[in-house]
Amino acid sequence: MDQSRREIEVMANLLGSNDMQAEVNRTHFRNNNCLTINVIGSPGAGKTTLLEKTLPHLILDLHVGVIEGDIFTSKDADRIAVHEIPVIQINTGGGCHLDSKMVSKVLPEFDWKATDLMIIENVGNLVCPADFDLGEAFKVIVLSIVEGDDKPSKYPVIFRNAKAVVLNKMDFELLTDVNMETMRHDIRAINPEIEIFEVSCRNGNGLKAWTSWLRQEVTTYQANRG
Amino acid sequence: MHEMSLMGGVFEVIERTISQHDVKRVLQVKLKVGELTNAEPDALDMAFEAYSKDTLCEGAELIVERVPVRGRCRSCRNEFPVKTMFFLCPNCQNTSIEVIQGEELLLESLEVE
Repeated sequence: MDQSRREIEVMANLLGSNDMQAEVNRTHFRNNNCLTINVIGSPGAGKTTLLEKTLPHLILDLHVGVIEGDIFTSKDADRIAVHEIPVIQINTGGGCHLDSKMVSKVLPEFDWKATDLMIIENVGNLVCPADFDLGEAFKVIVLSIVEGDDKPSKYPVIFRNAKAVVLNKMDFELLTDVNMETMRHDIRAINPEIEIFEVSCRNGNGLKAWTSWLRQEVTTYQANRG
Repeated sequence: MHEMSLMGGVFEVIERTISQHDVKRVLQVKLKVGELTNAEPDALDMAFEAYSKDTLCEGAELIVERVPVRGRCRSCRNEFPVKTMFFLCPNCQNTSIEVIQGEELLLESLEVE
């Protein structure tokens, strides 16, 4: 018996099939000159609200599409559709994150020749979506400051892998024990290059800087067409 | 619980591998999981048990090797362990650090009979 016992070396990436499809998606976005971003944050951080507050400004000079990821319901997509923006809802049916295959399935639903910016709002979760590449150009985190200044150091993977973080609900700063110095320090310690935007979707403060930055990212992406 | 999805990836690879070899039973599955991923060993164990039921892997041992994070300074090229997830070169205090280890999610090997 023991003689037949043997080891097979494999060394295969567990995310291999997701990463492969993500590259196909990325090529699709590149070929259509559409900047695609993956927005990640806890439930209630304000991801959909940020989109609702930002989209009316972005659509003044950009064609924008939205993919909404949720476990159940089309509540988020309904909120976006009010702005007459092309939006598709993906229901993961219990799944805690979007993957590149789910995104690939809905791509034919959009008019890509007329899309400059595609915003994918991931399922509300700061953990799982971090490991799954969707083919996006970059990830953006939405974190509400009331979640606490310990969150960056507790969830370093996503902070390490994102290009920007939007710190929402700044209007609550004085009502909570959050230490914004710790928050900023820890975010920078994990990822020195990350862009930090401090906003309040409720009163509108800080949204202009975020919107201008995102618009500039679209311009840069489109100018770099190979 | 995205460990279930990850385990789906493990079993895709296992099925492909055993289809290329003469395998009666899988005895051991070795994974390498970087600390800069969100895969949790206990949840991987549970997912493995669920997936392996009624397959050649049923009853096999799952070994998850956690791989610590290592960084390389982009300025002085120093390589060092990143302990607290704060990325700072202990040699020159530079903060631009490339991750050279700790992001892997790999099926390393199978022991079979």
